[in-house]
Amino acid sequence: MNKRGLFAVPYVIWMGLFVVAPILIMLVYAFSTAGGGFTLDNFLGMGDYLSVFGRSFYLALIATLVCLLIGYPMSYWMAREGARFQKVAMLLIMLPMWMNFLLRTYSWMSILENNGLINQFFRAIGLLDALGVDHIQMIRTPGAVVLGMVYNYLPFMILPIYSVIVKLDRSLLEAAADLGASAGQVFRKVILPLSLPGVVSGVTMVFVPSVSTFAISRLLGGGTQMMLGDLIEQQFLGGAYDPQLGAAISMVMMAIVVVCMTVMNHFGEGEEQAVML
Amino acid sequence: MKRQERLGSRLLIGLVFLFLYAPIVFLIVFSFNAGDSSAVWRGFSLHWYAELFQNRLIMESVYTTLLVSILATIISTIAGTFAAIGLYSLGRRKRDALLAVNNIPMMNADIVTGVSLCLFFVAFFQGWGGFAKWFNGVQSLVELPTRLHLGFTTMLLAHIAFNIPYVILNVAPKLRQMDRNLIDAAQDLGCTWMQAFWKVVVPEIKPGIVSGALIAFTMSIDDFVISYFTAGSSTSTLAMTIYGMTKRRITPEINAVSTLLFLSVLVLLLANNIREARLERRRELGAAPRRRPVPALLQNKWFHRGAAAVAACALAAVILFLHDATASRPVVNVCSWGEYIDTDLIDQFEEETGIRVNYQTVDSNETLYSLLKSGGADYDVIVPSDYMIALLIAEDMLEPLDYQKIPNFAKIGDRFKYLSYDPDNLYTVPYTWGTLGIIYNTAMVEKEIASWRDIYSDDYAGQVLLINNSRDALGEALLCLGYSVNTTDEGEIRAAYELLADATRRGVFQGKVMDEVFQTMEGGNAAIATYYAGDYLTMLENNEDLAFVIPEEGSNWFVDAMCVLKDAPHYEEAHQWIDFMASTEASLANMDFIWYASPNEEALAAYPAYYEELYEEPLDQELYEIMATPPEVLERCEVYEYLPPETRTLYNDLWIKLGI
Amino acid sequence: MSKELIRLVNCSMAFDGEQVLDHIDLYINDSEFLTLLGPSGCGKTTTLRIIGGFLTPLEGEVLFDGVRINDIPPHLRQVNTVFQRYALFPHLNVFENVAFGLRLGRKVEGQKKKERIPEEEIRERVMEMLEVVSLKGFENRRITELSGGQQQRVAIARALVNRPKVLLLDEPLGALDLRLRKDMQSELKRIQQQMEITFIYVTHDQEEALAMSDTIVVMDQGRIQQIGTPEDIYNEPKNAFVADFIGESNILDGVMHEDFVVEFFNRKFKCLDKGFAPMEPVDVVIRPEDVDIVPPESGQLRGTVTSVTFKGVHYDTIVDFKGFKWLIQTTDFHDVGETIGIVLNPDDIHIMHKSQYSGLFGDYSSYSEEYDEIGDVAKLDEEEGAQDE
Repeated sequence: MNKRGLFAVPYVIWMGLFVVAPILIMLVYAFSTAGGGFTLDNFLGMGDYLSVFGRSFYLALIATLVCLLIGYPMSYWMAREGARFQKVAMLLIMLPMWMNFLLRTYSWMSILENNGLINQFFRAIGLLDALGVDHIQMIRTPGAVVLGMVYNYLPFMILPIYSVIVKLDRSLLEAAADLGASAGQVFRKVILPLSLPGVVSGVTMVFVPSVSTFAISRLLGGGTQMMLGDLIEQQFLGGAYDPQLGAAISMVMMAIVVVCMTVMNHFGEGEEQAVML
Repeated sequence: MKRQERLGSRLLIGLVFLFLYAPIVFLIVFSFNAGDSSAVWRGFSLHWYAELFQNRLIMESVYTTLLVSILATIISTIAGTFAAIGLYSLGRRKRDALLAVNNIPMMNADIVTGVSLCLFFVAFFQGWGGFAKWFNGVQSLVELPTRLHLGFTTMLLAHIAFNIPYVILNVAPKLRQMDRNLIDAAQDLGCTWMQAFWKVVVPEIKPGIVSGALIAFTMSIDDFVISYFTAGSSTSTLAMTIYGMTKRRITPEINAVSTLLFLSVLVLLLANNIREARLERRRELGAAPRRRPVPALLQNKWFHRGAAAVAACALAAVILFLHDATASRPVVNVCSWGEYIDTDLIDQFEEETGIRVNYQTVDSNETLYSLLKSGGADYDVIVPSDYMIALLIAEDMLEPLDYQKIPNFAKIGDRFKYLSYDPDNLYTVPYTWGTLGIIYNTAMVEKEIASWRDIYSDDYAGQVLLINNSRDALGEALLCLGYSVNTTDEGEIRAAYELLADATRRGVFQGKVMDEVFQTMEGGNAAIATYYAGDYLTMLENNEDLAFVIPEEGSNWFVDAMCVLKDAPHYEEAHQWIDFMASTEASLANMDFIWYASPNEEALAAYPAYYEELYEEPLDQELYEIMATPPEVLERCEVYEYLPPETRTLYNDLWIKLGI
Repeated sequence: MSKELIRLVNCSMAFDGEQVLDHIDLYINDSEFLTLLGPSGCGKTTTLRIIGGFLTPLEGEVLFDGVRINDIPPHLRQVNTVFQRYALFPHLNVFENVAFGLRLGRKVEGQKKKERIPEEEIRERVMEMLEVVSLKGFENRRITELSGGQQQRVAIARALVNRPKVLLLDEPLGALDLRLRKDMQSELKRIQQQMEITFIYVTHDQEEALAMSDTIVVMDQGRIQQIGTPEDIYNEPKNAFVADFIGESNILDGVMHEDFVVEFFNRKFKCLDKGFAPMEPVDVVIRPEDVDIVPPESGQLRGTVTSVTFKGVHYDTIVDFKGFKWLIQTTDFHDVGETIGIVLNPDDIHIMHKSQYSGLFGDYSSYSEEYDEIGDVAKLDEEEGAQDE
């Protein structure tokens, strides 16, 4: 190791302390009883929460899909605009991130309430009367939770896809057209496969926080849409104190995320170039 | 691109931006609302901005947010840059292995990172406690604190921990692109290694450092989850404050603070853009940026270093000063429920005693218990309810009180002393008492509600709010079935659970709420809820259609009492606080504000007169009786008693099961 | 000569109001190797991209086999391109890159949908093509594992496998080092002859152009300066620009007294040119290698050597004639300060009409800069490519 390599030493120690050790401690917790003995019950008893796992993955998957369906064309079209347009658009996408995501989610609460903005609007135009209902239930539904996820994590989908597409060598597209590919074929055979790394990192960047969220489901789901994040939070700071179980669920979630990402990365080799900005 | 296609694509881009910004615009517009609703416009006003600067909770959390973000950004940028340089001078194999570890916090869900760090800190604190006791025992030169808590420091460490990987990720590509000969060239030209670093490497990787810092800052500002798990209860970022508020009532001050934050970011960005555009134009014109002549002094590197040192010292001084201003004064950390105190009393107490009150809230006894258990709290005084007090006493988590120091204890009515949860009255001074009942909106519910059965019936399916804590929710069901709320019979409890589960399956409940009930009921967003009498009276002020009833099957009557936690660091101050709050004046003011009855008999008796003097109208007897439930009604009600561990576990299991 | 294949009629192009092509007329014959030669920004790449279909001229027509193709998109043209930096698809291996065009299917007369080409045929044609470019055995390699020269060959194979009538090559050798470039030049020529198709080749390297082309089109400022065989272009440059750009030239002001007599440096010389107006001012071109050095007393002109550079085969000698500096390439060494005489034979003197370029080139007072210019060209050309919409 040369002199510069010494700079790495403090960081290696730091990582040991603040990255590796916490995970090891979590592992220990996951396999202990409240009294400190070894047990597998925390994992064995998890079957009870299968529906929570199911709901979390289902909602997160939908949110990811919606983000992809909006984010991909958005990124693609943005990348084809002029440099000035792109710059402003990027700023506009980043800007909300400097407001904490809870603020933005909170704003949706008052929009989606039974007496919120949208229902008020529907009432004003007579839609509610026409339907013969007092309000359309939006908040405290799975849809509201998905909306919150899409709203908060859409930039995470757009940024990586956009940055891959914008870096695509234009001559590759011309080459494909030159070789006889129509616009659709250029997209399918060149742009899509080449932007896959961006899609992969976008999908993981949306899916992971979505599947683990608890604030969004709490605020917009109103406690009716318990998700993995809520379950974990309940075990630590919520009404059901059981950190061992919480640690075990966290471990399972971590494992699932790792597996998902390994599978995803298999699709999009050369992922490194795609990670953020 | 063809014109039509361009039009279509722009339309989509426009729609996405509309989607992204509509809620923000909405937030901003309602920050100027004269009313306090976040959905109904009542005219323009700057009122909430004025309020904002008065609101200590929000201002402090803004300060905490900015401080932790800035510090975490600075530290992680510097550390991350050096770490990246270090990593890049290692062999490929080692580097890749370390980078894989580095990626863990980015890859992991925030909640996993947060939870693991929380457990790590708690484990460390336990280890530290043992070490400190031993250390203080073997020597007397230095006194180490034996009890550490989650707080600002742990939150800062956590922020640094999740920021560094992002900095490395941004700096690393620049290092990879950098010509490795550059440093050699600089050294060849006579630089020392350090000079080469500052003059060549840093400018070369600067774009990476800048974008790394920017992302670190963004991540810090945007973070909620990791802070939530590592900050404990004494420190609160803006996000945590909002999260706390969403549970009861979000004041439009939050809209105001968001607007200010958003606008300042916008201004910064615009300024930066204009500056860049100007530079670019100048570059296009081919003119070198004109330089103003710089005085020789300003070019001297020692002057630069001196200035940097002075700036650093100034920053440190400001931080220390602020820290000092908050820390060196005597402090008492109080934890209570939301909207459970007249906040003027805090100021009054601080003025009278010079003790700073760190006032925090949680939303249920169960949450409080979790916080205490996980070491996230460093409270002195807490105000749990009866059954929780019993549990805390059983687990030896409370400190006996010194009643000599609480003369006002004498004014507490005897009927509130020596109750089952604290039979010898060693630990508690009652704070409030009241009942649990059904609140319903008469505009939405035609008939008069009289029984617990009504909240489980299909009549108001989708319009009922279930109370979000196991003891109350299951207790209501037990009452409905005619059982005691204190039963330990598993069959009875399971029957109560089935009642709830069945209603849930039928879609009776719109949601499970605690303090969210305020906003939901006041806004007419649900028809029926079960909550506490005092809170009903608060809601009534905002929505006259609401009614309250104690069902015929009876209900729970509760006492919330002030206790001091074991080993509380501010034992003296805690007693002063308790005595102050037990006084007749404070009790009167408090009762008027929170509408919960005080156990101070003097205050209780004096309240109708106090009310009349204050509002120049007589107190509605009916309302008074809702607050201070008359004995004949109380007879129908039961106090929650301490439940054995097996029953508590059963409660927990059933409760979680109901949730999923 | 064979039949005409492509014709540009009066084509103009502009980017952001800047004229890039100024009413170009050009025809290209079947199976010829035609080179568009010129400095950066001369419009050669634009011309190529118009033929390829990536640009539509603002004015004028593009004819292919007599049919107007202005509005036919690139993927429907029987033209393929080898791009400047190859534009190989990084997500595909060598085989799949070459097979790309085949996998898109082939057009069937009268049908809108393309017909699939059987896998067997694809395989056969790709392997055949890889053999042509000497890349057999590389088919499973990743693009990133290839050297620049190999990537070059893949790009050529990929373009040729579609059996285009015309292959467009945009500075294909620009990224290769000198040795490889020389090899690829003869390789390209060989492939062109083997495939018997038209190559349209864009370069700024005059040597490359001279070595490979059947026809050279010299362009500058969006206009065609001269079209001709390499020999024509070199020996009979039409104006000072061509003379300077192709090889080295000393260009002086002269006056054509009558047919076969030109005056410069106040002296009349015999020459082989005719058809000028009497006393018409002209540009006189003298190639450095055509000048014979003689002892001062027997020279038609006398000058002083101001600098000598050894070039291997010859010496670049700069000689000052009455303040005008000439470049003379000679195998004899004459030291700085020496006075020498020169003799010009009639066939060493080329006379050109005056043009906008007169007086801009041909003086070697600032000898070294002239050489530098060539080095810059490659860099500037990239920018030209980038600004295209």
